[in-house]
Amino acid sequence: VATLSAAPHIRPLSELDISRIVAIDERLTGVYRPDVWERRVGYYLRRDPEASQVAEVGGSVVGFMLADLRGGEFGLEDTSGWIERFGVDPDFQGRSVGRRLFDAVVGHLKERGATAVRTLVGNDDGDLAAFLRAVGFTNAPLTALELRLAPPPAAAGSAKR
Amino acid sequence: MNVDQTTLPKKYHDAVLHWQRHHFPDYDLLPQNWERYFPNEPDFCLCAKMELGMGDSIEVGEHQGEHRRETPAELGEEPARHLLAIIRAQASTEFGSIQQHEGTLARAPDDEDRFWVLRVMAEELRHGYQMLHLLVSQDWSGVSGQKAEEMVEEILSMQTGSHVLDAFNLEYDSFVDNVVFAAVIDRVGKYQLSMQRVCSYKPFAQSMPPMLREEAFHLAAGVIPLRRWAQRAAQGNPLITMAAIQRAFNKWLPRGLEMFGHEKGGDSNVRFGFKNMKNAEAQSLYYDECVRMVTDLNQRFLRARFPKLSPAESEATAARLLSERGRYEGVTSEDLVELPDRRFFRRKGEPAFTMVGTRGEPFDDVDAYVRHLAAHLPEPYLHSRDVKQYVEALRQVRAGQLTVEQAMKRMPALRRVGGVCPCSKAVRWVVERPDGAAA
Repeated sequence: VATLSAAPHIRPLSELDISRIVAIDERLTGVYRPDVWERRVGYYLRRDPEASQVAEVGGSVVGFMLADLRGGEFGLEDTSGWIERFGVDPDFQGRSVGRRLFDAVVGHLKERGATAVRTLVGNDDGDLAAFLRAVGFTNAPLTALELRLAPPPAAAGSAKR
Repeated sequence: MNVDQTTLPKKYHDAVLHWQRHHFPDYDLLPQNWERYFPNEPDFCLCAKMELGMGDSIEVGEHQGEHRRETPAELGEEPARHLLAIIRAQASTEFGSIQQHEGTLARAPDDEDRFWVLRVMAEELRHGYQMLHLLVSQDWSGVSGQKAEEMVEEILSMQTGSHVLDAFNLEYDSFVDNVVFAAVIDRVGKYQLSMQRVCSYKPFAQSMPPMLREEAFHLAAGVIPLRRWAQRAAQGNPLITMAAIQRAFNKWLPRGLEMFGHEKGGDSNVRFGFKNMKNAEAQSLYYDECVRMVTDLNQRFLRARFPKLSPAESEATAARLLSERGRYEGVTSEDLVELPDRRFFRRKGEPAFTMVGTRGEPFDDVDAYVRHLAAHLPEPYLHSRDVKQYVEALRQVRAGQLTVEQAMKRMPALRRVGGVCPCSKAVRWVVERPDGAAA
């Protein structure tokens, strides 16, 4: 049984965290998708490695939060931090790991000049929404919209096969 | 995070661009392809970046708590001389790695990998530029005995074979070296930059955080392609094998370990407040981190080969294969990557010229050890001058014709010495030009 005898150590993301992030994601979603995380971690390390943080307990990563700083997107001219992905190993949930990660990420984003932190949450993800509200997020004056595109006919045909 | 950006005086800036045209001709491909491979990311800037807002107090060493020094004169002669050697070595590594990467860059099997390495090279150019900034923005003549122009000239004249550290004097054999170098040798760079963050000389300390941020991607540019190659190897792609990756690790790791300096050294760095760890401590942490890296690669390989294995089963399988040298569903320990023993193929430091195999096995016979090297190093590298000279020195040491200390000093035997710019026998890298004249 995992124990949390000491506060998790929060530190910036590194390329050697990919395996543990893949493992945490696999535990949370049941899907093994290393290629997705290799791409995402590569992206965040290029942009600003200190904006994304991981939580370590006993030398093993038990949580991660991937974020970066942007400006001028969606007509939002202010410099804002965006939290794209985060996850906490189920064995370590409910122990403030997410809160500590969030504090570290927001601290860095503020230092870099962010005046807001933004993210998107699935309508069906009540736990995540509850966590985000608990750390201070409120409804934004924006609505997420999407338009589903049908695949090209050839691709659709091959998908059916 | 607040960073001040500055450019070198024109004659030095032009000298770096001149150097780039000769040694890094692919540089111009980067801006042309930036948006494709690095969309919405800030453009590359060839400039020196100084972190603002760092503490003013010396963090370690005999002057801990005092104000950080801001000029070489404030350091005192011995520490200034010592730091100058560190800055020169750092500059040499930055320019040296570009020369190495350039040789095999075009052989990258994937364009994305190629442009990642290209970005790494550009950022190494910026790091070299940063070191030149440290050299020319202050007066080091009291300890260098050289004018700033002469120091820059000397650094820009180094070539593969005449750099300060051995790792930068080896040619790459294939694009596998580009990637393994980024994963193994750039990792030493990360350790050095992290240790130097505490430096009692403020301009050097201020140079570290921006370089470290860029270095994080350099390591990813090594590890992520390696992970993908491990997957392809597991899926039966005959063009990339775990054996090729293993041999490249065997080539580079010994040089990486030696970049920390002699295992018994590092006292002066800590005493002067230049670094916060001695050599052996940093080297040990580095080795452990490399162990983690290859453990991850093996997991990537096994999960790709056996998708039904759970993470725990995969870890147990790798551990069993490596400890028992057994077989699992056609996979053997030879299909996995293992970090060579830290004494393997060493020519500097405590284990220099001891004959220890990849798994720590001792050898008594030179010929048997040379056969062991031949079986575990990349085949094209075996035919290099570097291996030949190592073997010759080893034979002399074992025959009692050379002491280990003498042999260490011989390595590397400088193959090429620096000279003038190759576009003219008379033109030097650093030249005064009237404003507006083409470099």
